[in-house]
Amino acid sequence: MNTLRSRRFIIMGLLPAMLIYALFVFVPVIWSAYYGFFNWSGIGASSFIGLDNYVEIVHDPIFWRALKNNFIFVGAAVLGQVPLALILAILLSKNNFLQRFLRSAIFLPMVLSTVVIGMIWQYIYHPQIGILNFFLDTLGLESWKLQWLSDGKIAIFALIPPLIWSFVGLYLIIFMSALQNIPGEIHDAAQLDGATGLRKLASISLPMIWGTVQVALVLCISGSLKSFDLVYIMTKGGPAHATELLATYMYNSTFTSYRYGFGSAISTTIVLISLILIGSSQWITSRKPKQ
Amino acid sequence: MKKFTKAALAAAVSVFMLVGCSNQEAANNEGSTGEKVTLTVWHNWTGQDAKSVTMRKLLADFQTAHPEVTLEDEGLPTDGLKTRLRTVAAADEMPDLFVMWPDAMTKEFQKGDLLQPINEFLDSKPEWRDNFIPNALDGYTIDDNIYSVPMNLAPTSFIFYNKLLFDQYKVAIPKTWDELMTAIDTFNKNDIIPIALGNKTNWVAQSTIFSTLADRVTGSDWFLKAVNQDGAKFTDPEFVKALTVLQDLGKAKAFQDGFNGIDETQMMQLYFQGKSAMVIDGGWALANLVSNAPKEVLDNTHITIIPSITGGKGDAGSTAGVVGTGLGISKKLTGAKKDAAMELLYALSGPDGQQATLDSSTLISYNLELDPSKANPLFVELHELMKNVKISPVYDAKLSSAAVEVTNNGLQELLMGGKPEDIAKKIQDAQAKALGK
Repeated sequence: MNTLRSRRFIIMGLLPAMLIYALFVFVPVIWSAYYGFFNWSGIGASSFIGLDNYVEIVHDPIFWRALKNNFIFVGAAVLGQVPLALILAILLSKNNFLQRFLRSAIFLPMVLSTVVIGMIWQYIYHPQIGILNFFLDTLGLESWKLQWLSDGKIAIFALIPPLIWSFVGLYLIIFMSALQNIPGEIHDAAQLDGATGLRKLASISLPMIWGTVQVALVLCISGSLKSFDLVYIMTKGGPAHATELLATYMYNSTFTSYRYGFGSAISTTIVLISLILIGSSQWITSRKPKQ
Repeated sequence: MKKFTKAALAAAVSVFMLVGCSNQEAANNEGSTGEKVTLTVWHNWTGQDAKSVTMRKLLADFQTAHPEVTLEDEGLPTDGLKTRLRTVAAADEMPDLFVMWPDAMTKEFQKGDLLQPINEFLDSKPEWRDNFIPNALDGYTIDDNIYSVPMNLAPTSFIFYNKLLFDQYKVAIPKTWDELMTAIDTFNKNDIIPIALGNKTNWVAQSTIFSTLADRVTGSDWFLKAVNQDGAKFTDPEFVKALTVLQDLGKAKAFQDGFNGIDETQMMQLYFQGKSAMVIDGGWALANLVSNAPKEVLDNTHITIIPSITGGKGDAGSTAGVVGTGLGISKKLTGAKKDAAMELLYALSGPDGQQATLDSSTLISYNLELDPSKANPLFVELHELMKNVKISPVYDAKLSSAAVEVTNNGLQELLMGGKPEDIAKKIQDAQAKALGK
């Protein structure tokens, strides 16, 4: 009786949130999947074309380039942001003035708007008046000077430093709090056993925060799959699609080419890809034997 | 699963309830066609430039003169306005009046049955109707129905040049393609950027350079045929030649390094700083120049058009351009609301509105004399130049949206060394597909 009542209470409590979630997440996703079967310019009549949009996506070289770029972003985030944040968290764990200052400095980009970050880096990379090329000049490394954002071959890689820079603060905070949660006794015990430095890191600190690292990885993967704003501001997916991501490809198809049906089909494809990636990452982590 | 079905059902029910509510409200609104009417107006006059300020003042004046009308105006930046109009068009919830573009956008809205023709109102004021420049209403006319009138004129392609730099290096103002190439060469040798270009927002090269350049090579007739896929294709040798001319311009280092990575604002900065001898931009750049360029650059700036190309089929005395934006009126308006909307249309684009626009240093598609003592000398120069220059079509106004996107990206690719033939084929495919051919 009691459990039944409390269950009813739980359902009642969850219902509004569920409804809102369903309304603003499930319904649009389903609608969008539905529009994906149509040839529709957004205005006027639409015609049902079955899977033609999906066939076009699979045959579209831009889609594959966008997917590849997205994977470059995921790779850069997983291999760049997470280890860098972990190292910084370990190095900056003391509470003196310098370290507090460095921590704030690293966290600062998190509170900046992406537009600001995009503008800052655009001027860093600026081909004529950019700091980076100016700096290389002063060092006598003229041959390293590149057209960072306008050379199709390197533009996508030039976007990685701002990406890492803007998010590393978030993971730094997550890792720092995880490190601080390791009980002091364990550190003391390790010290008694003679474990210091790298040894202590590998045997004590890392295993103790492994759960947090996993969470950070999931956040990282899903975050980089959703990347849009930074790229849209800095290159708009250009030049000539060189930095196109799935999200910018979807946005450009829908709101620049006005192909709502095609854009919806891309959105659905993104949902499917994300589901597959998240599903497989869940599967891999759940198979790991628990300590 | 059962729970999910229930939740979905509940969600669906609440959606219907919400939809029901909004329908009812709409019905109530339309019922009240008494003296008091409310008009929603969406526009892109958000800036502090003279034209935006003037247009906002015209709106405010209309409000004062018509206390029975409540204006709810909303300003959005141009790109945002275009996107938002599309979005509400998809939902069939257009504002009562909105700034819209001729040709492609007008056609698409008309196809979606969203626009109200203004023929009757226009015919009731013949002295107004007959004073527009030739062909000014074409972009707003579909099957003899006129859906708006232009509030300005937007040539997209002028060379703004710094006379001081031309004199310093003894370069002639280019009238032919060879002279342009010589100029580019001389400036490059002296470490001056010949032409500043910011093509990150990739319509810039297409609208300001390529539309005119291609017209010089192919002629307007060929282009209009290719747009309709009627007897001409973008894979034709004329068009490939036009692409090659632009590519050669890039190869001759006419533009500074990294032009695909900076935007239009940064492009103008290069010109303002005296780092570049020329910049190619639309008539809209003038307002920016007048208010933001340093005095020594502004005083030495003059305007000309892209030089002639040997062997080209186009008119060498033309420049790409569109008649400017007009106010579209929603199909749904009736009765007093419709009358008020027509009055507002007349207030903004009638003779007085056109005069105010011209006085704010903006070109108009309407026959009016400019008082040279009132205007900035550079605008007077532009106004004089336009008297002898014909308007040729702009690519992004005529092509389908999908083909515009392909063209814009294709030109970036072209300037990075892509093959003209491949790019021509992509544009051809996109336009043919959009027309369903």
